Amino acid sequence: VMAGVARRLLLCRGLSVTAGPPSTRQLREAEEAAPVFQYAGKAARRKDRVFVWGFSYSGALGVPSFVRPDAGWKKPRRIQPTPYRLETDEKIASAACGYGFTLLASKTRDITKVWGMGLNKDSQLGFQRTRRDQSKGYEYVLEPSPIPLPLEKPQQTRVLQVSCGRAHSLVLTDSEGVFTMGNNSYGQCGRKVVEDEIYSGSHLIHQLNEFDSRVVQVVCGQDHSLFRTKKGTVYACGWGADGQTGLGHYNITSVPTKLHGDIAGVNIIQVSSYGDCCLAVSDEGDVFGWGNSEYLQLASVTETTQVNVPRHLPFKIGKVKEAACGGTGNIVLTEEGNVFVWGYGILGKGPNLTETAVPEMIPPSLFGWSDFSPDIRVAHVRCGLSQFAALTNRGELFVWGKNLRGCLGTGRMEDQYFPWRVTVPGEVVDVACGVDHMVSMVRSFT
Amino acid sequence: LNAAPGRAPRQRVRFLPAPAPGGGGAVELVAARVPVLADHPLVRGPRFRKLKIGAGHRLDVKASGVFVLGIGRGNKLLTDLYNCHLAKVYTVGGLFGKATDDFSDTGNLVEKTTFDHITREKLERILAVIQGTNQKALLMYSNIDMKTQEAYELAVKGLIRPMGKSPPIITAVRCLQFALPEFQLEIHCLNETQQYLRKMVHEIGLELKSSAVCTQVRRIRDGVFTVDDALPRTQWNLQSIREAIQNCQLRVETELEKTLG
Repeated sequence: VMAGVARRLLLCRGLSVTAGPPSTRQLREAEEAAPVFQYAGKAARRKDRVFVWGFSYSGALGVPSFVRPDAGWKKPRRIQPTPYRLETDEKIASAACGYGFTLLASKTRDITKVWGMGLNKDSQLGFQRTRRDQSKGYEYVLEPSPIPLPLEKPQQTRVLQVSCGRAHSLVLTDSEGVFTMGNNSYGQCGRKVVEDEIYSGSHLIHQLNEFDSRVVQVVCGQDHSLFRTKKGTVYACGWGADGQTGLGHYNITSVPTKLHGDIAGVNIIQVSSYGDCCLAVSDEGDVFGWGNSEYLQLASVTETTQVNVPRHLPFKIGKVKEAACGGTGNIVLTEEGNVFVWGYGILGKGPNLTETAVPEMIPPSLFGWSDFSPDIRVAHVRCGLSQFAALTNRGELFVWGKNLRGCLGTGRMEDQYFPWRVTVPGEVVDVACGVDHMVSMVRSFT
Repeated sequence: LNAAPGRAPRQRVRFLPAPAPGGGGAVELVAARVPVLADHPLVRGPRFRKLKIGAGHRLDVKASGVFVLGIGRGNKLLTDLYNCHLAKVYTVGGLFGKATDDFSDTGNLVEKTTFDHITREKLERILAVIQGTNQKALLMYSNIDMKTQEAYELAVKGLIRPMGKSPPIITAVRCLQFALPEFQLEIHCLNETQQYLRKMVHEIGLELKSSAVCTQVRRIRDGVFTVDDALPRTQWNLQSIREAIQNCQLRVETELEKTLG
């Protein structure tokens, strides 16, 4: 009995657990007992964001701390060379970049539907009341500020699209027609030209409703406006010295008038303009052009440098889906997903191609197409004054052209002679190009 | 190797004394081809006493797959192949839900997360972005002036590749299999290490708002050598090695000529 007790005492002496490397079983148990963290639940939705880049001193980027730093250590940032996130209150459905200003629009039913930032010397952003003096308006708006629209039913009407030109802007609604504001010295706002009118600090926002059917697209050129209706007709008003109104004369038009010429009776599905040249695409895939042709934009049909009646451009490149016009160059996208450029300037095929009257195709391998990923296609094309942008179906943004004040967003200040990817932390849904800045609507990845 | 028939001994012309045709003791010198004594196997000894074997691109302990070795004169070809900067292909297996300190499943656990919100579509979107940013790096590190027509031509053909030192660049990624919590990727890369690939799996997990560890890294292609050319453990004998070298010789020569000129 004594020996048994002594043995049990010996066995009990090892009460303390020997320290040492944890055994596999201990590791496995510790792992199973560890807490599980959840970062995203089943209802996690992708977020919609807005990214801006380019020249910021005009206030067009909507970030006040770039122009007036709010902390001592911050320095004013003249150029934002890479995409910068802009915080917005609502989901932005449509954006447009003008010459030094930006408009953002949301499809909400709230009272505030459109925000504007940038230059406001011609009231292209409406009347922005100053804090100090109720009767004066701001000339530079540094932050996205709501634009009060004189809507009849502000809680039912939705804003579908916005467009900006050199010093005027157009807002398209679903049931109350088109609202125009800004400079009207050439009648581009669709109302009669008033001599010596002062546009700065003006409260006037004009409403246009007299079209043959509902307007579905509004486009601003430099000093003219184009309206496309549901029936496929195109109306124009504004400056016509280059024939960009397409009405058969070179005078100013102050009331939106229907275009004829080669597009009479044709169902137009898209119109585009940014400088003094205009392009229209019909439902059958044909391209029509009118306006300035000094840079060979319309040289395929005529030798004259101004065309004031829409002319059919007989290109044999396939059925065209979308077209975009820049200041000196044009770009179209066909149904097969091929991109064609023509005109003058940096067209995207290297430094040697500076001008062509006939569309040249940009090889799809520059947009990421390869044997490894054969289903990449270009989905949209956009044009700024001297830049081009292309969006692929994978949500990648490619830019090329003159890098004016960092507007390409590549992070470098040099011009880009062939399509280059812009690194955006998200899938790019749409992009708006201006003269020296760009705005993109992006959805986050997860 | 030493048992194989070696080089035939060199021959030398020697004038050896031979009995004269006339007969009777006169000695005449006759020219005869005689093997050189210095080339005799008993004098020379075994032909190979040691072999110089060099290794190609590194493969660490936890990874597997194609490992290129050079024997003897092949070591010079190894340096040339390294200067070609050809892409390597890996299959990388990953597991969602865990994060460890060395990014593989044998490391110390750092965190566990949920992963049921991950879909194949979200993973492919992340892979597309990785490919896009690495494409940019490819163009930037290749040290070509972007403003020339030559840069445009090369970019169209997709032949721009960094030919000097560069950080690891991934030229293509694609998802081969996806069955929560496991997934498998095929990665084409340049200048990488296997630990970089494991780190990439970890970062993909973070990007998808979860966590991931790497379970398997296997190199299936290194330049011109694929898994089909590689010899498994059971075939590490002289005959198979000689056949393998002969099969690959032509391909290696054409590749070197094409890239280095």
